[in-house]
Amino acid sequence: MNTTAYLETTAEAEAIRIHDVVKQYENGTLALSGIHLSIREGEFVSLVGPSGCGKSTLLRIMAGLDQATSGQVQLQAGSAANKEQASFVFQEANLMPWRTVLANVALPLEISGVPSEERKARAMASLEKVGLAGYANSYPRQLSGGMKMRVSIARALVSEPKLLFMDEPFGALDEMTRHRLHEELLSIWSQSKLTIVFVTHSVFEAVYLSGHVVAMEAHPGRIKQVVPIEEAYPRTNAFMTSPVFGEKVRLITNTLS
Amino acid sequence: MMQANGQATTTSVTMMAKDGVPPIGGSTKKHRQLVYKTATPVVFILFLLAIWQLGVRLLNTPKYLLPAPSDIWRAALKGFPDLLQAAGNTFAAALLGFLLSVLLGTAVALLMMASKWIRWGIQPYAVVLQTIPVVAIAPLVVIWLGPGMNSIVFISLIVAIFPIISNTNLGLSSTDRNLVQLMRMYKSGTWTTVWKLRFPYALPYMLGGMKISSGMAVIGAIIGEFVAGIGGGKGGLGMAITSAAVQMQTSFLFACTIAASLLGMAFYLSVAAISHFTLRHWHESAIGSDKD
Repeated sequence: MNTTAYLETTAEAEAIRIHDVVKQYENGTLALSGIHLSIREGEFVSLVGPSGCGKSTLLRIMAGLDQATSGQVQLQAGSAANKEQASFVFQEANLMPWRTVLANVALPLEISGVPSEERKARAMASLEKVGLAGYANSYPRQLSGGMKMRVSIARALVSEPKLLFMDEPFGALDEMTRHRLHEELLSIWSQSKLTIVFVTHSVFEAVYLSGHVVAMEAHPGRIKQVVPIEEAYPRTNAFMTSPVFGEKVRLITNTLS
Repeated sequence: MMQANGQATTTSVTMMAKDGVPPIGGSTKKHRQLVYKTATPVVFILFLLAIWQLGVRLLNTPKYLLPAPSDIWRAALKGFPDLLQAAGNTFAAALLGFLLSVLLGTAVALLMMASKWIRWGIQPYAVVLQTIPVVAIAPLVVIWLGPGMNSIVFISLIVAIFPIISNTNLGLSSTDRNLVQLMRMYKSGTWTTVWKLRFPYALPYMLGGMKISSGMAVIGAIIGEFVAGIGGGKGGLGMAITSAAVQMQTSFLFACTIAASLLGMAFYLSVAAISHFTLRHWHESAIGSDKD
């Protein structure tokens, strides 16, 4: 109920509005019940919670990959933006092994019929954003896990989306690589007007990255609390060791347990 | 004891030196092993041939029963133009049968993927096709298509098509689900998804099927020539084998059989080479474990 209040009072444009979304599986399990959420344009929002809290399902419903049983999801209501301007980054890099890195990044443009020259240029620009321009002609098998994920992010960015949905994208990476990707993602995000919705099971990751953390709980999946992280961007390593950081982590962890 | 220990340490160190330059000791050892591995079967067959030659000469076995290797060699040289023409005809028929089986088999597998009704309808008969003895339906084919090339190619096609259908079908239906979802997210149409995702994904499976089919197409062509071949050199190896058998030219019969098996091998190796070339960038089967 009061979960949407923090945003409705502001005048800024909404990127996503979720109204009373319910998801029930065919076997009767209630995956999501009565979800209300509003996400502002240009915001970085994380969904955290234990497994079974429906955070991934909620993300997939937002992205249009899954259907809600009832309720509405509006993407940038009133504006020209729609689902065509949304991209999704999966838990795995999901690259096609027979395509070069460049051809993998260009895939979304290829499917929407962008001419060859333009799509190469745009894919290259997107690869530059993730620092992999030098690997354009490599094949995915030649890359490390972190690099594969970067290619996956470059592919999501190539269509110049307004909305980026990320489903535990860094879950399988080692700590060092993950942290480097956090910084890169934040830098890409701050240089664009991207709205990012990020699903994770790591409270630390959520607090470090987000402007708002949506804490969810399971059985049935619902929003417990929306925690604002007021710390200004760009965020540095110092933030991770600051008392504010610890306080936010503790608050969210307590909410979840 | 000391020395044994020392050696053990050396090998474990050399084994650890991955990626970089192969350690010298391991390399020559590997190299030597490769030479032995290639030489052993050659030595083995030479040994068998020598026994064969010697046995036939000592026992004075009549040529029409069992010719010596030297007799077979002489017969092959003497009948070389005939042998070459026959092998050429068989090659043409087998190639045509093989190519048609690839085209038709892939098309059938695509249809089976596109519609579950077609899949349910066809699947059992694809298996039945595999179990019908080809020798039994070959005369039927000749009745329908008449003797000659048409029937031969058709019989080769029947023999070669099953592995293509079954492997392509397997490949098309085992596409990575996440990638299917990705394509759906990009609003890719059904045929775009087939062309850009399912087809490349199925390619290693298809090439596996084609490797099996290639040898079978040659066998099919020869069976076809047995029943539908026209006389003379035009009948291919199948016909040459039949006529050599009837005339008790056992040496030439052997030569034809060897030619047939060489043809099948050449066919298989070509398809295997094409397969390797196509998959060399990305598929595990073509990359080799030492490079990863």
